[in-house]
Amino acid sequence: MSLDKIEMHLKLLFDLDNLLDDLNEPAYKEIGFKIKDAEYRSLTKARSELLMKLPLDIADVYERLKKRYRRAIAPVENDFCFGCFQKLPTQLLTKSKEINTCPNCGRILYWRKK
Amino acid sequence: MNLASLLSKERINLFLKPGKKNKIIEDLVYSLKKDADAELIVSTLQKREVLGSTGIGKGIAIPHCRSLAVDKLEIAVGRTTKPISFNAIDKKPVSLIFLIIAPPQDPGNQYLLTLGKIVQIAKEITKKKLIQKPQTPEEFITLINQIEKDLRKRK
Repeated sequence: MSLDKIEMHLKLLFDLDNLLDDLNEPAYKEIGFKIKDAEYRSLTKARSELLMKLPLDIADVYERLKKRYRRAIAPVENDFCFGCFQKLPTQLLTKSKEINTCPNCGRILYWRKK
Repeated sequence: MNLASLLSKERINLFLKPGKKNKIIEDLVYSLKKDADAELIVSTLQKREVLGSTGIGKGIAIPHCRSLAVDKLEIAVGRTTKPISFNAIDKKPVSLIFLIIAPPQDPGNQYLLTLGKIVQIAKEITKKKLIQKPQTPEEFITLINQIEKDLRKRK
């Protein structure tokens, strides 16, 4: 699988995880949106399928990070990892040809498109 | 937290051409000028709609999601010139749409607070039958400001 494809799958998985996580937030439930149980289950299934499409090692890293931090991916802003707010070393400041993780917290790094 | 301060007149379109729900959501996403990641945002918003419509009833919808594509809370507002089908909870068509996109990292949970506030303001807009009242983005922001002030006074 190409790097672009892996990144796209990771982004879709991450945004889907955030969507599913928010539904369980008490503050979200209080707002009162109605959620269909069957559709929730089908999106959970879609999540598993998305995860299975990723190379095994990356899926494994993603799941471990999610378990540890809840959000496995952190955007890079002004040379900082926005997961742990540590400055990234120079060699990581430009997007490389592989999936990069923060040397401090281990989160998968994401360079927002300009 | 003040909702009016999060609105910008460039992102308020009170004369949105009616269309299918997904097309309207797409149009609002593209108004945020996040072109590089617009498809990703649209895809997540569509998944959220699958879970249950964000049409909260009485003509208002609030599609929302978090996305890596944004670094701060982004809001776009659209009012269609004719009501559109949105599968809203009251099955009635929708004309006023608040689109909210939040970053994943969100100190103070501003996203959920804003979402709750918009629902509250939306209910006031419908109660006072004000959906069609503002004719310019400036008037829309003034209206939101006024409703927020009234809500604060009531507390």
